[in-house]
Amino acid sequence: MKAPALPANSLRVAWAMAERSIKLIPRVPSTFFPSLIMPIFLVVSFGGQFAGLALLPGFPTDQILNWFIPMATLQGAAFAGITTGLGVARDLENGFFDRFLLSPARRGALVAGPLIGGVLRGFLPLILLTFVTIFSAATVSGGLLGWITYYVAALGMALAAGAWAFGLAIRFKTMQVAPLMQTGLFLAVFLSTAQMPLELIGGWLHDVARFNPMTNVLALAREGFLGEVTWADTWPGLVSLAGMAAFLIVFAARGMRKIIP
Amino acid sequence: MNQLEQLGALARRAIVNTSRQPASVVPSILFPLIFMSMSAGALNKATELPGFPQVDGFMQFAISATIIQGILFGAIGAGTDMARDIEGGFFDRLIASPVSRASIVIGRLAGAATLGFVQGIVFLLIVMLLGVTVEGGVAAIAMIAVAAAIIAAGVGAVTVSMGLRTGSSEAVQGAFPLIFVFLFFSSAFFPRDLMSGWFKTVASVNPLSHLVEGLRTQVITGVDIGAWLTSIGIGASIFALGLVLALAALNGRLKASH
Amino acid sequence: MTLTHIKATGLVRRFGEIEAVAGIDLEVAAGEVFGFLGPNGAGKSTTVRMLTTLLRPTEGTAQVAGHDVVQDADDVRRSIGVALQDAAIDPLMTGRELLALQAVLHGIGRHRSAERSQQLLHTVGLTKAADRRVGTYSGGMRRRLDLALALVHEPIVLFLDEPTTGLDPNSRVALWEEVRKLNRDFGTTVFLTTQYLEEADQLAGRIAIIDDGKIVADGAPARLKAEVGEPSLRVALPPGADEAAAEAVLLPYGDRVADGKGYVTIRLAGGASKVGMVSRALDDAGIEIEGLELHVPTLDDVFQKATGRRLEGAEEAPAEMEEVG
Repeated sequence: MKAPALPANSLRVAWAMAERSIKLIPRVPSTFFPSLIMPIFLVVSFGGQFAGLALLPGFPTDQILNWFIPMATLQGAAFAGITTGLGVARDLENGFFDRFLLSPARRGALVAGPLIGGVLRGFLPLILLTFVTIFSAATVSGGLLGWITYYVAALGMALAAGAWAFGLAIRFKTMQVAPLMQTGLFLAVFLSTAQMPLELIGGWLHDVARFNPMTNVLALAREGFLGEVTWADTWPGLVSLAGMAAFLIVFAARGMRKIIP
Repeated sequence: MNQLEQLGALARRAIVNTSRQPASVVPSILFPLIFMSMSAGALNKATELPGFPQVDGFMQFAISATIIQGILFGAIGAGTDMARDIEGGFFDRLIASPVSRASIVIGRLAGAATLGFVQGIVFLLIVMLLGVTVEGGVAAIAMIAVAAAIIAAGVGAVTVSMGLRTGSSEAVQGAFPLIFVFLFFSSAFFPRDLMSGWFKTVASVNPLSHLVEGLRTQVITGVDIGAWLTSIGIGASIFALGLVLALAALNGRLKASH
Repeated sequence: MTLTHIKATGLVRRFGEIEAVAGIDLEVAAGEVFGFLGPNGAGKSTTVRMLTTLLRPTEGTAQVAGHDVVQDADDVRRSIGVALQDAAIDPLMTGRELLALQAVLHGIGRHRSAERSQQLLHTVGLTKAADRRVGTYSGGMRRRLDLALALVHEPIVLFLDEPTTGLDPNSRVALWEEVRKLNRDFGTTVFLTTQYLEEADQLAGRIAIIDDGKIVADGAPARLKAEVGEPSLRVALPPGADEAAAEAVLLPYGDRVADGKGYVTIRLAGGASKVGMVSRALDDAGIEIEGLELHVPTLDDVFQKATGRRLEGAEEAPAEMEEVG
């Protein structure tokens, strides 16, 4: 019995993997829960602790939530993306992933599936934070375009973080790699303009943040919260996001190619 | 062996255990330092805000919070070690021996206190090498180290009680974020005067705020016995509460095992 | 002409310094049940992982169902069904969900998939448990589900990696029956790895014994056992009996083998079928005996002859004794 033409089937396989990743959320809520709690925690605690920052001359908004909600959203979406990578690690640990490897689908589909699942998972914290934005003192003055850039940045982060986590999962084949996945993400975000705009950051962090692509991605997520959306603020973010995602997807795909013909 | 010697042996074991697992020491020194270094870069400009205390940089302001952060990391280690002793069966061997029951807990807390003391000094020396001034001088360093020891024993008692109650190192580690919530809803990393609304209220009732502020005063203004006693008082209260919890948990476990 | 379904030539797999599989040649014909027997860590699973495209061989080549496992991995994947060691099934999913997922993985349409799932669930007796999470299944149920999953796309070659490890004897026998039926009714070629002598003996038409990454014996179980040598016959005498008289009667049937006091044991030159004659001869000579034990060589003897060790992890007694007297 011959399977149907490959590409169509590969798409079905990728989708089935993504679907499973979503279906499993309510069955192991404890792994997903942090991606909803953590961004809320960040908004409340950073917004509360550092409310005074908005008074600094040169700070781009006088409402601190406009500054921290997009940052927290990116973290939450990225965390959600990481949970799919963690799912892959779980599957590799107990051997379930062999089933996917034994499918005659393209190997690319087996990478794409979890990544699509990660982006879908990224929607959940994003929707939650959308409500927080609407019902808090934050304002999206950039209007519809502002919302779009915010969503694109968050979902792009979910994709990039998912690829990062997948790449680590397929190399280490154990859930023990979770702290590495999370630490990598935290460093990437906090070594950028997570807390302060670039002009107000001093010392070595300034140099690191200047070259960290996350700085542009944060700018993309924030621009609608800080004012009108402009192409000048948008394109560096899109390019950085695409670059990061592409690089990390290659990292994930190479890991896959290493283990199997 | 008399009681004191037993206690000493158990405390020594707690310290040796910790220092032999670099993976458990590294986070309690390195992570807070990394975190402080990043905050210092990001938030240095904030020290120019009107209402920000007079400091020579954000690091001078934040070092006291960094010490507490390190202590919290270390305390998680104490609770996890307790749980590991239960998981691994060492606990059963201890209670089968003539060692006094309380010294199982006290020994571990003495170990935690020693580590806290060392952490306090090490953190201060590191930031002094980085150019931070400790206004209170040697006296302040000693005072902070003593307070750090008491606080470490206090938070350690809380995590040890968790370890005794659950008998699972994973459960103790799972409580880790919970402990940090306290720190991130306090004035540890930013002055209370610059907060507003309900968050300021929360930070003002959070004992960790006052605890950190009491230590901070020694660093940024100079020796202040009153402020120091506030920190000591809070640390001692945590210790008293934690000890009650830990001894109750110990009793519960001993009863359950008979 | 018989079709070859599995062919491996000089297959080697190294993990760093360790050579897990050290040059294996194999040939399994279509419709055969082939048993791959060896102790834990002998290289069985590594070989299966290479044959099923899950692991790249370090050296050598292999074809499964006529396709190269590296060059045409997808064609191999389309032709094979694999039930993996430890029944790697997600405890969080239900049996039916897993079957549906497996069907998608093998490009089976939605309608056909539902039909096929129903049929397979019936075959392996899991219809009632189909909508329960696999985490609630017993070990035997998991293995049966695993088998059903391997069959979703009607593979022509079936790989079973230690299918009954950890199962109770009843579940084990039930699973053997499934495998026999598959082979008989559909002519499915079965490649089975096992550390159980009995399993290889019961199921496989031909076996290869692997030890330390190398094949040390290969052939039909009966032939391999025959090669080890003749069966031995042990005659137990009552206390105070005349050992010399008994020996005189027995020696014409085979050489004496050293044994404990009160026993006379010989190599039965003519094979097991001579037991009746020996028994009559003893009777005719008026020699009273307590019992007769025939020891037929087992696969463990085959293993011992090839490696100098007994097969570790085997549950059976090291030597089977059959009471005949």
